[in-house]
This record gives sequence, structure tokens and C-alpha cells, in this order.
Amino acid sequence: MVAAFNDEEEVDATLRAVLVDVLGLAEAQVRGFDESTALFGALPEFDSMAVAGLLTELEERLGILIEDHEVDADMLESFGSLLTFARAKALQ
Amino acid sequence: MRIGAAEAPAVLIVPPLFEEMNRTRALLADVMRALAARGLCGWLPDLKGTGESEAELATAQWDDWRHDVMAAAAHAEARSGQPVLAASIRGGGLIDDGASAIGWWRLAPVAGASLVRDMVRAGLAGVEWAGYAPSHDLRGRLVDAAPVAQEPLRTARLASDAAAADVKLPGPALWRRSEPGNSAELAAAMAADIAEWHATCAAC
Repeated sequence: MVAAFNDEEEVDATLRAVLVDVLGLAEAQVRGFDESTALFGALPEFDSMAVAGLLTELEERLGILIEDHEVDADMLESFGSLLTFARAKALQ
Repeated sequence: MRIGAAEAPAVLIVPPLFEEMNRTRALLADVMRALAARGLCGWLPDLKGTGESEAELATAQWDDWRHDVMAAAAHAEARSGQPVLAASIRGGGLIDDGASAIGWWRLAPVAGASLVRDMVRAGLAGVEWAGYAPSHDLRGRLVDAAPVAQEPLRTARLASDAAAADVKLPGPALWRRSEPGNSAELAAAMAADIAEWHATCAAC
């Protein structure tokens, strides 16, 4: 049921799609995100309730499991840190 | 809830579970209105302990929900004179297997374990299970539940979802939004695809 993720670009696209879907951000805004774009604490939409939905949707779409101890402020801080985490999980 | 003429060909909407149901309530009402405009009738059951059901959620068992869907399908069939098409959203695809139907349509079906993880996670941010108090039976069955294969079945997913599907629909994952929302684009796309699949199954 879960698609195979073969390269970093697919994970990048999936992460952007999940940010649009879960946080209700505009596609154009998320397309403009780069590695240094601040997320948690910087975007009003990205609060602690949204984190739960974001993590579960990433699990479903990337076919991964995220343990609670892997989640901290550093991992959620920027688009780059979240992307690095998602790639490490999905492409391992 | 019913939208459309009771005698019209029936689509039984099997809603998502728990908080996802509330987040998609407005969307599903729009889908039902759009189905009615296409000459179909949309039926939406209240699962035991939810919506206008008078029972407490804590008394609901997993099989109560499956039986609620079966009973709603039988009721709609009796009124319309023909079996329903079951259209399930998310976790609704876990409880639609017992219904008598001409076909099944599922949007973004999900394993019960994933729903449980989300509820537990939401609890870490505030209230356990987002304020729901499901019975031990409901919780235990949900964690092991997976969508049961049906025939004929059409699986729809959002365009932004890379997983395999028979059709990809445009629109946002409203069931994830902490603020309730709606999408006219997704409602229209769902209604069009459900109506087309109803016609296909009715002709079989």
C-alpha cells in the first residue's frame, strides 16, 4: 500500500505535500521553503497539536514509524532539519 | 442524516472515526449535497456513541459500529429499493465490510494502528485520545483493524499522496487539520468519482 521511496527528491516532495495538507499552508508558500526556513515556533499554524498530525501523516505516506524519543525541537526547527530526518528514515 | 430523495439510488457514507469524523463533517455534507444534485441519495449513519446517537461512546463495541453500518445499508436499501454503494472515508473503511452493497469506494483508507498512534500522540499534547473515552474492546479491535478487501472496490487517494490508488483526487487532507475546514474542490471531485463508480457498479 505504501509507495517505495527511492530518492531524496520524492521524500522532499512528500514532506512539502504533508506540510500543505496538515498545516493548511499555501502551496506557493511551501514551494518557496528552503533548508533554513524556520518551522516549529515560527509558523503560527505549526503548533503542538499540528505536530501530532504531521508526524502521523508522514508515517503513513513514507511508510515509516517515528518513535517519541526521536521527536524534539531541533528536528522540527527548520524545513532542512525535518527533511534530513525524513530522508534518513525513509531511505534507510 | 439523509440528503436526497429516499427512493433515489443510495450511497452510504461511512465516516472517518473519532476526531477525523468531526474534521470532515462539513466536507461530507457537501459531498452528500453534490450526490443529491446528481440524482443519488446520500445516507450518513451516526455510529453508536457519536453524533446524534444517545448512547455513551464508552459503551460502544467495535462490532456495534460494524452492525450500525450494516443496519444503515439495509435501511437505505429498503427505502431506495436497491442495494447501496458504500463510500468510506479513512477509518470508515475498517467497518464497511459487513454491509450489503453493489460496490465499495474508499478515500485514503488507513490501518487502525495508525489511527491509534495519532490518538495517543494527540494525548501527549493535551488530553488522552483527544477527549474520547472508547471502550477497551473498541480500542483493542481498532489497533488490529485493517481494511478488508471487497469486490468491486475503487480506492481513491489525494493527489499529494504517493501511495497506489485507482484515482487521485485534488484537495487537502482535512482529517488532519486541527482547525475544522472544508474544500469545495475535494467535495466536488469526490461526488463526481463516487457517482461514476456507482454507475459502473450498478451496471455490473
